[in-house]
Amino acid sequence: MDESPFLRMEGIYKEFPGAVANDHVDLTVRRGEVHGLLGENGAGKSTLMKILYGLYTADEGEIYLDGERLNLESPQDAIEVGIGMVHQHFMLIPRLSVAKNVVLGMREPADVFRDAPEVTGGDGAAGGGGGLLASLGTNRLLRTLASRFTLGLNGPETEIRRLADEYGFDVDVSATVRELDVGERQRVEILKALYRDVDLLVLDEPTAVLTPTEADRLFETLRRLTEQGLSIIFITHKLNEVEAITDRVTVLRDGHRVGTVETADVTRDDLARMMVGRDVLFEIDRSPAAIGDPVLDATAVHATDERGVEALSGIDLTVRAGEVVGVAGVSGNGQRELAEVTVGVRAPSAGDISIDGTDMTGQSPRAYVDNGVSFVPEDRHEYGCAGDLSLMHNAVMKEFPDGRFGDGLRFDYDAVKQYAERLVEEFDVRGVHDTEDVVANDLSGGNLQKFILAREIHRDPDLLVANQPTRGVDVGAIEFLRKRLLDQREQGTGVLLLSENLDEIFDLSDRILVIYEGEIVHETTPEKGDRERIGLEMNGASVDADGAETASEPDEQVPPVRAPPDHRRTAE
Amino acid sequence: MHFDIELTAREDIPKWMGYATPVVTVLVALAVSAVAFVALGVSPISAYEAMFVSTLTTEFGLRETVIRAVPLALAGLAVYLPMKAQLWNIGAEGQLLIGATVGTWVGLNVALPAVALLPLMLVCAGVAGAAWAAVPAWLRARWNINEIITTLLLTFVAVDVKNFLVRGPMQAPTGSFAQTEILPANAQLPTLPWFNVHAGILVALAVVVVISLLINHTRLGYQITFIGANHQAAAQAGMNKRAVYVFVLVVGGALAGLAGISEISGVQTRLRAFFEPGYGYTAIPIALLGRNGAFRVLLAALFFAVIFVGGSSMGVTLGVPAAIVDVIQALIILFLITAEFFKSYSIDMTLRRRTDRPNTGRVGGDT
Amino acid sequence: MAGFLTGVIDATVNASTVLILAGLGELISERAGVLNLGVEGMMLVGALSGVVVTAITGSYWLGFGVAVLAGVAMSLIHAVLSVSLKSDQAVSGIMLTLLGTGLTTYFGNDWASESISGFPQRTLPFVGEYLVEIPVLGPALFRSTATDYLALALVPLVWLFLYRTNVGLELIAVGEDPETADTMGVDVFKMRYTAVALGGALAGAAGAHLSLGLIQLWSPGMTAGRGWIAVALVIFAQWRPERILLGAYLFGLFDALQLYSQSVDISLSAGSALGGAVNPILEFVLNPTIMSTYPYLATLIVLVVTVVRRNHEQSAEPAGLVQSYSRESD
Repeated sequence: MDESPFLRMEGIYKEFPGAVANDHVDLTVRRGEVHGLLGENGAGKSTLMKILYGLYTADEGEIYLDGERLNLESPQDAIEVGIGMVHQHFMLIPRLSVAKNVVLGMREPADVFRDAPEVTGGDGAAGGGGGLLASLGTNRLLRTLASRFTLGLNGPETEIRRLADEYGFDVDVSATVRELDVGERQRVEILKALYRDVDLLVLDEPTAVLTPTEADRLFETLRRLTEQGLSIIFITHKLNEVEAITDRVTVLRDGHRVGTVETADVTRDDLARMMVGRDVLFEIDRSPAAIGDPVLDATAVHATDERGVEALSGIDLTVRAGEVVGVAGVSGNGQRELAEVTVGVRAPSAGDISIDGTDMTGQSPRAYVDNGVSFVPEDRHEYGCAGDLSLMHNAVMKEFPDGRFGDGLRFDYDAVKQYAERLVEEFDVRGVHDTEDVVANDLSGGNLQKFILAREIHRDPDLLVANQPTRGVDVGAIEFLRKRLLDQREQGTGVLLLSENLDEIFDLSDRILVIYEGEIVHETTPEKGDRERIGLEMNGASVDADGAETASEPDEQVPPVRAPPDHRRTAE
Repeated sequence: MHFDIELTAREDIPKWMGYATPVVTVLVALAVSAVAFVALGVSPISAYEAMFVSTLTTEFGLRETVIRAVPLALAGLAVYLPMKAQLWNIGAEGQLLIGATVGTWVGLNVALPAVALLPLMLVCAGVAGAAWAAVPAWLRARWNINEIITTLLLTFVAVDVKNFLVRGPMQAPTGSFAQTEILPANAQLPTLPWFNVHAGILVALAVVVVISLLINHTRLGYQITFIGANHQAAAQAGMNKRAVYVFVLVVGGALAGLAGISEISGVQTRLRAFFEPGYGYTAIPIALLGRNGAFRVLLAALFFAVIFVGGSSMGVTLGVPAAIVDVIQALIILFLITAEFFKSYSIDMTLRRRTDRPNTGRVGGDT
Repeated sequence: MAGFLTGVIDATVNASTVLILAGLGELISERAGVLNLGVEGMMLVGALSGVVVTAITGSYWLGFGVAVLAGVAMSLIHAVLSVSLKSDQAVSGIMLTLLGTGLTTYFGNDWASESISGFPQRTLPFVGEYLVEIPVLGPALFRSTATDYLALALVPLVWLFLYRTNVGLELIAVGEDPETADTMGVDVFKMRYTAVALGGALAGAAGAHLSLGLIQLWSPGMTAGRGWIAVALVIFAQWRPERILLGAYLFGLFDALQLYSQSVDISLSAGSALGGAVNPILEFVLNPTIMSTYPYLATLIVLVVTVVRRNHEQSAEPAGLVQSYSRESD
């Protein structure tokens, strides 16, 4: 592998309102290497790559490819210089065939108008294409017309097949993408980039949608690509993958580059430490838990996500009255589906859910609400409130059937308004001069979240499910929210807290679980728990490249083992 | 360097825009329509004078306006109610025609004193209109099939059903015109002592009040509003989206049916084959203008009634084709939509380097 | 009997051309993701402008050309509203129908009595004389106006355009997933504007065929709902050009049978036992007014059946058709 840098990103600075996404980040990638980009959500990985791919423009900083300074204003510019990207959410059109998806946008003309494969200098008559048409083919007007009004698939299909063979995938170029499974679709995404002759390929969390076997196949493909001289940037937050596939890895945290290391020289512990760092602790006093009967019982729960991929693979979970169960994990490991399943928004594909001892599997959200379940969703604007309606309207989103807001048909908006005002006052929601005038979208993130929490808590629920409750919330509001969650715990509510923030988990939980790829992989308590260990578990440290769990006692330290730099991993 | 038109979403909609928009839209539409008058050699001033002044200052004009406002208000509410839940009832015209047909049939064939017959006719017309909207309602609620297309298709079917019945089984045996018998006296809405308008105005006013109460003072109205604002949050909160969708469309159909029968029983006194008033389509801009409340819908209906009445009197006095009313309607809708856009976005034009593409949200997850 | 068949086929073909033209236009627009409910209005504008220009200049080709341009102009309003201003496509379309109907009735009264000579019925060059001799089908299919032939020729052309050209590929992509198309370098705005303009052009052409070819005069509201049938036709055809042709013939057949069912008595002999039961049904089913509903009912049935039977991913409807016929399920 060539030691001189192929790609150099220097001093990249990118700011969004309210946050610095990339703070003078440097990144160098060598030719033919697989370079990992590691970091938690919010670390700045995606932003950095979007800048590289031309979707964003950096506020400051330069990008050099093979020594040449780049000026990227669109993805087309990036492709032209040979940078390709495989997105996490595939950019494919299911109705069209693989070949059509690959050539879309390239305006490949019909075969008669194509350049012969080995046309030299001025000798247009040599090679394929046919003499007269080949020379006609150089006429600019004709070429434009041909590229617009013809579509040559034979040549591209042959080329695509050739590429696929070369890199060891098998793909039916005339199959529609609709017929392909997730792994195959990803390969089409890669083919799109290869077809455009990229020298640098960026993959954004590619294994998020793959089974372990498919992930292995992907890694093999990547190795073959690098053997051919392609450079790869591999974005991930999973430590086992970093070890399995990367040559070097750059770690980002909170917008900074923490360091770049040779993969062979570090352990997972080292990487986890670089990734997670230490935050300011919010010390909150917590009284001992007074734990009662189970309010939530999830048994052997499986669930699939929006795309039909299994998101929960056998969850057993119990939350008791008066206890806070914190589920730590990186977003995208099943938290959303777990939350949805426990509040009735999503039915499990297998397994049971009971609330307060009653089996509620498959019942409507209404039944869950009536049974004392409250929910603070991850996306407050999509599921937590009606942005265009007033706070008054939003205050009774769940409580409106209650008799105190009017008997029979009548709905007493005066009572509703008073209720809204009480919520605002008790939860210190700022920026509200009149609950009828102010709409939900007018509030800042923190204040809206306070309002939503107020609404959910005020119902005095038996079970409160909170998914990332302090995400995107300012520091002052965070403390307030966490304290109120603990207050509710003292009132006897069982709280299921899902959070990426380990400090939050430690401060609030009575029990700590770690979720990874749809399973609970670790269980401990704040007293006995080891932050670094949990950080590792959140990032798949106890799961090796084949997806098998490494056997270990819950709280024992696993002796670090150096990852051998070759393909296969031996079990620890 | 590029010339860039930058659209920034407004953070706050200036309050005055909320009130001014309908008024300004109408004024602009009228101004543009003036061109059409000039093109026919008619002075816009005399045209608008004929349209507005004589309509609003004569007893005849006022009476005609109120009478015309009855079906317009009912049809407007037939579109307004589903709109609150973010559904489009484009088929109000069809529901109106079916209601008119069924109500007329009842009026012609059931022998009851007026005090019983009239309510029966109204109820039957309402039920018929509701039934006509029920299929699209269920298709939307159960399979998410777009109600715009289904209600529209059924409108054309309704026209043919009405024609078939009026030229066939319901045709008056005397003479060979494509119309029914005249409704007997006990089947005609009585004329009220004030202004000589028919009792349909009472029905319309009652419905305006009921709908207003429904939306603003009941739990159901609250749910309709919330589901229209964010159906996903509503579902999470336990609200029954499907039931509400069916409810608003079916009730909308019933109101359109009422509009139909009120017009036949109160004004036309018989159902003619070429009865196709277009109120169901005018109901769309009426509902858009009146989107903030049932009483505003009534105001919008009165406004359009003035335009219709003025339009036909303009045809008589100035020889201007009544079709100008369609043009004015269309322009009002056009400018309303355009104004909607400007309410949400402010436009800056600059010369600059192209800035970042907005995050489409598809390309990776985090920042 | 042969005369009756020829008559029906002739009437079917005649009725179908308008639908083919308008239907293909709407298909192109919807394939790019833009629903155009203004077809009826654009057809009327095309019909009137065609007549006016032909009456003034004496050239029906010029009239036809202007009609096409008029359709384009109107459709561009729709494009600006729905594509650039992101307005509700349904409302914008209905507004244009209102506008087109209103404007043409308003300005068109004077032209209603104009007599013009429009497209003559011609046979195809060279082979025409022989083709016309084909029993039953000959006179119906092969003696038609230039616009009839144009419509027929457009079916394979549109097919080739969509499935065998790069621009067609990009248009389909834009209608399926504008975001993906954008990332792949396709100019989404330009594609949608082009598609809408083509739809308007064909709607204008359909109107011109009506007023210059089929019925050689103008009368207010002469499209009589054919624009709406064209919209229904696209759904019925499940967005495929070849099915537009078939559907147009089918709907045209309904149209033709309406004309003929009054003159021909299709019924079983009154004396037979079955006759008593079946005849009233036949009479109902073949009643011209009832037959007018068939295109709409057929479309409704196709719409429901296809949505209910297939799941969302397999639907034939362009996935990115905004205000799509089947919105995202919960």
